[in-house]
Amino acid sequence: MADRKQTLRLGFEGHLRKVDVTLPATEATPWDADSKLEIVGTEVPRLDGHLKVSGRAKYTFDVALPGMLWAAVLRSPHPAARIESIDVSKAEGQPGVKAVLAVAKPGDTLRFAGQDVAAVAAERPEQARDALALIEVRYTPLPFVVDTEGAMRDKAPRVHEAPITERRTEGDEPGKAKAGGMQGNVRALPPNERGNVDKALRESDVVHEATYVTQVQTHSALETHGVLVRWDGDQSMTVWASTQGIFSVRDEMAEVFGLAPSKVRVITEYLGGGFGAKFGASAPGSRLGFIAGELSRLARAPVKLMCDRHEEHVCTGNRPDSRQAVALGGRRGKLHAIDVVAHGTAGIGTGAGVGRNAFSLYTRCPNARVRAHDVFTNGGPGTAMRAPGHPQGAFALELALDELAAKMGVDPLKLRLDHDEHPLRSMQLRQGAERFGWDELRKRSAQLRSRNTRVRKGVGVASSLWGDFGRANAAVATCSVLRDGTIELKNGVQDIGGGIPTVIAQVGAEVFARPLSTIRVRYGDSDYGPSVGSGGSTTTSSVTPAVRNACEQARVALQELAAKQLKVPAGEVRWDGDGTAHGGGGSITFGQLCKKIDGEAIVATATRPATYGHEPMAFPGSKFYQIAGAQFAEVEVDTWTGVVRATRVLAVHDCGRVMNPLTLRSQINGGVIQGTSYALMEERVLDGDLGRMLNPNLESYKILGARDVPEIEVMLTEVHTGANNTGAVGIGEPATVPTAAAIACAVYDALGVPVRSLPITPAKVLEALGMIPGRPA
Amino acid sequence: MNRFTIVRIPSLKDASNRVATTQGAVLRAGGIDLLDHMKEGLQAPSELVELHAIGGDEGMKLRSMDVHGDGRRRLGALVTLAQIAELEELFEGHQALAQAAAHAATPGIRNAATLGGNLLQRPRCWYYRHVDLVCLKKGGDMCLAQTGDHRYHAILGGGPSYIVHPSSLAGPLVALEATIDVRGVDGTVRTIAIEELFVGPTVDPMREHCLAPGEILLSVTLPVPAPGQRSAHAMAKEKQSQDWPLAEASVRLRMDGGKLRDVRVALGHVAPVPWRSKEAEAALEGQAPSAELFARAAQAATGPAKPLPGNAYKVPLCQGVLRQALHEAAQIPLPE
Ligand SMILES: Cc1cc2nc3c(=O)[nH]c(=O)nc-3n(C[C@H](O)[C@H](O)[C@H](O)COP(=O)(O)OP(=O)(O)OC[C@H]3O[C@@H](n4cnc5c(N)ncnc54)[C@H](O)[C@@H]3O)c2cc1C
Ligand code: SF4
Repeated sequence: MADRKQTLRLGFEGHLRKVDVTLPATEATPWDADSKLEIVGTEVPRLDGHLKVSGRAKYTFDVALPGMLWAAVLRSPHPAARIESIDVSKAEGQPGVKAVLAVAKPGDTLRFAGQDVAAVAAERPEQARDALALIEVRYTPLPFVVDTEGAMRDKAPRVHEAPITERRTEGDEPGKAKAGGMQGNVRALPPNERGNVDKALRESDVVHEATYVTQVQTHSALETHGVLVRWDGDQSMTVWASTQGIFSVRDEMAEVFGLAPSKVRVITEYLGGGFGAKFGASAPGSRLGFIAGELSRLARAPVKLMCDRHEEHVCTGNRPDSRQAVALGGRRGKLHAIDVVAHGTAGIGTGAGVGRNAFSLYTRCPNARVRAHDVFTNGGPGTAMRAPGHPQGAFALELALDELAAKMGVDPLKLRLDHDEHPLRSMQLRQGAERFGWDELRKRSAQLRSRNTRVRKGVGVASSLWGDFGRANAAVATCSVLRDGTIELKNGVQDIGGGIPTVIAQVGAEVFARPLSTIRVRYGDSDYGPSVGSGGSTTTSSVTPAVRNACEQARVALQELAAKQLKVPAGEVRWDGDGTAHGGGGSITFGQLCKKIDGEAIVATATRPATYGHEPMAFPGSKFYQIAGAQFAEVEVDTWTGVVRATRVLAVHDCGRVMNPLTLRSQINGGVIQGTSYALMEERVLDGDLGRMLNPNLESYKILGARDVPEIEVMLTEVHTGANNTGAVGIGEPATVPTAAAIACAVYDALGVPVRSLPITPAKVLEALGMIPGRPA
Repeated sequence: MNRFTIVRIPSLKDASNRVATTQGAVLRAGGIDLLDHMKEGLQAPSELVELHAIGGDEGMKLRSMDVHGDGRRRLGALVTLAQIAELEELFEGHQALAQAAAHAATPGIRNAATLGGNLLQRPRCWYYRHVDLVCLKKGGDMCLAQTGDHRYHAILGGGPSYIVHPSSLAGPLVALEATIDVRGVDGTVRTIAIEELFVGPTVDPMREHCLAPGEILLSVTLPVPAPGQRSAHAMAKEKQSQDWPLAEASVRLRMDGGKLRDVRVALGHVAPVPWRSKEAEAALEGQAPSAELFARAAQAATGPAKPLPGNAYKVPLCQGVLRQALHEAAQIPLPE
């Protein structure tokens, strides 16, 4: 069928315009600024909320099968060691033990403390753990290095002997190029440059240079990683997984065990978070799927393997740290050059880049260059974490920008507005500043500083950019209209917690003009049809357009049925707000009509095409729509103790079409909370001499608690992007990109001196204030 | 976590004997710290002897708070932190204790955690709490924190172990000159000053208190407050929910003719024992209260501090919380 032309009204408030797009013939006409929707866009509480709060929702952790065994993994106590021998015989035959597996072999090199060595499956979890203690392993400890700077030195122990290739997941930003060669433990990532930065820095009349440091953050999802494997015969299996990518688990299990992917069924009914670390059957630093599957095969019983909190911290991924040497040049009050040289460690893994902020946010700055490097250390591998690279990059860039602004004597907000080309973000910055009270609050900070008060207040602002990476042809949705009037919507997507099933139901209810109670959503199971991983903020934008197409197609079939019943041509059937069909003076209710369905149901299956629009602006260097956001933060600092409280955050975000304000706000709240936590407290602490993590728990690995949460105000700037037929774009990641940066800028405003290292602890504040004996600021 | 038996014995005598004579038997009060140890694999007791099972008069005394005829206030060892926190209004002169209890841990923990268990809990040093690491406190030959990451460790009185004493209640009790009653395994009850309960690392780096297995802390007694006595507790934390203090200060004083009298200062989370600062007391005693005086006293308090390379920030921070406590106790508003 031929493509068709369509004119849509796109853009955002005050900037709406008519745009011609070309749609595939089967594509539903996109909802645009002129669409009047009844259910999509309203505050529908998540459908399974009551199940979650009452404990009735069953997570992977809760699934129990008859005869199920529990697995436990013996992990390397050494940050680097060679295995001389492994003897598992004493573990076999222990009470309850049904299978024992040596995961590592003699001669293998272990590269971080926590790496897989051996595993046991037993009837009870404590039996499995007790048996681990009887596995005899002889290790030859090897030299190691766990800190980034140490690993960059010439004489540092080499973490990898051979160059290593990147492990990429659906959590990584699409389209990153391949990296360069290795020098010692340092591997250069592809650089970005526009203009001539060296020359521009020489031409600048003000240059600000400083190094900004960020810590390693662990994902710390509430539900730890885990899988439960049941073999169904020897050529197929069912896997319950705590995963944000059902199909990536399926593919990995199929590959590891040599099965056809269609023979692997993966179920994730409820998921206690992922934040980027839960793609595939393995955790980034532990072969969980293989271990559980192999133990299950050996023991001929289902095996469940759930990480404990310690394992979750050390071997299931993290946000790499960074050291960013930033040079900014100012010329005649304008930003003239941005130069960032970044080094960071993803432990033994890759992916310590610092995101797009420095290169792609202030595009009116003619000269920009970012050179990032992976530094290998003997730590658990990093992996994609909510907006990989961006919070790190935003922190360094935005704080440096404020420092430059101070040197040039210009307002930091103005400096941003002067160099940001995104019309929506510029509006967000202006409207946000107004609502936040930017000008008055900056004056207040200055007054408190000049009075040298004990308690200071400060405000900061930072920007967010992300792409609408919604995927074409990835999610296939099925809509069935059943004879009993139920509309069943199926797709194998997992709910990472964002509430996608609720939004799917809203789309169905909207298309059919039926109450939500008549919509049944089936999800969280690979049997329900292909879908995307919950990564890159793409779930809603990949799944809902497919759902809508399937619904629209089923509705066409239903319309034909109605036409037959009403004895009019299909084109003359009119639907009212209850889903009743009218035509030729007669009418038939939805329920009556469904009873006329031939067979069980009308079934339609559909996907979504590639993006066909990106109003008002594309993501740099691509055809994707660029998602804009800005956050304003206020902090209060006690200069006697150095304690920083984030008191208020105004989060101004673009969200494409607001599908459901409740679930949307919940994503933004979560992003702000996680960002505040990153700004002020979270930090993985490794001991340099021992190579062990000192805080592998949720007590000394500090995550923002209820009393630490700032007052969060959300301001939504809806955009009709024309990118897909529902108009949904992503929010999960954009919402956390600028938070830490805005808080760091606010601390700088409060103190008058910057804290250039995250987390901003009392120790660092007191040091910045020059209050530590023997250590002037 | 290992298997264990819960043992309910209604009399102090039998409970005490059971713990003194059974390998692997320990007393359980609120069980907060005990369970932490068991879950982390640091301790695998065979029996938990329930203090809550003590019956009759003995049990009632463990659980109750009352005022002696002479006005001294007695708090049973099983009184919870939540109960103490609620006393702030009633606690004329002893507010510091209620304030400390109110800010310790979390509401859930405070409902279970007991006064006795709080004083007898083990340190939070992350080397100590890591099951695979063996330091001086666990019978090893060196303090791993001294050369490692000691951001949360002692700046005063450290060495050879550099823990900070974890109890938030210990500091106020030292400032308030409390005494404790301890029942020996032979049944005799001794009364000691609270400060004598604590054992510093130079004496023995492997323990923090002087009770032998089977000895039971029965109660804490607060002396009758002097007329006009005031007290206050202040602390600073990296995180306001569910976190440990970086430093705490407890102050007791009274005003007499515009001068500070009977000043006692105890600092928490800066030393291996609750740290009485005689230097601060000397700087304050008999002086007219003022913001400047408090700043000087805080300087004096940290005069003997010997921070490790990675925790010097605790020196100004400790001064800051002490100044806050002094302002509150002396009712001099904090500067803006
Ligand atoms: C996240 C978190 C934050 C915390 N923050 C703080 C804080 O800020 N300040 C603070 O002070 N504490 C804090 N705590 C610690 C908590 O307050 C203590 O663990 C608790 O008070 C211990 O009391 P318990 O009754 O549970 O003791 P238990 O765990 O039952 O006992 C502790 C030890 O004392 C022994 N014992 C108990 N009672 C007696 C007795 N009467 N006689 C003899 N031996 C006895 C037991 O055998 C055991 O060895 C925190 C804990 C957590 C988990
Ligand atoms: S401070 Fe004490 S408990 Fe901590 S490592 Fe040193 S000796 Fe061990």
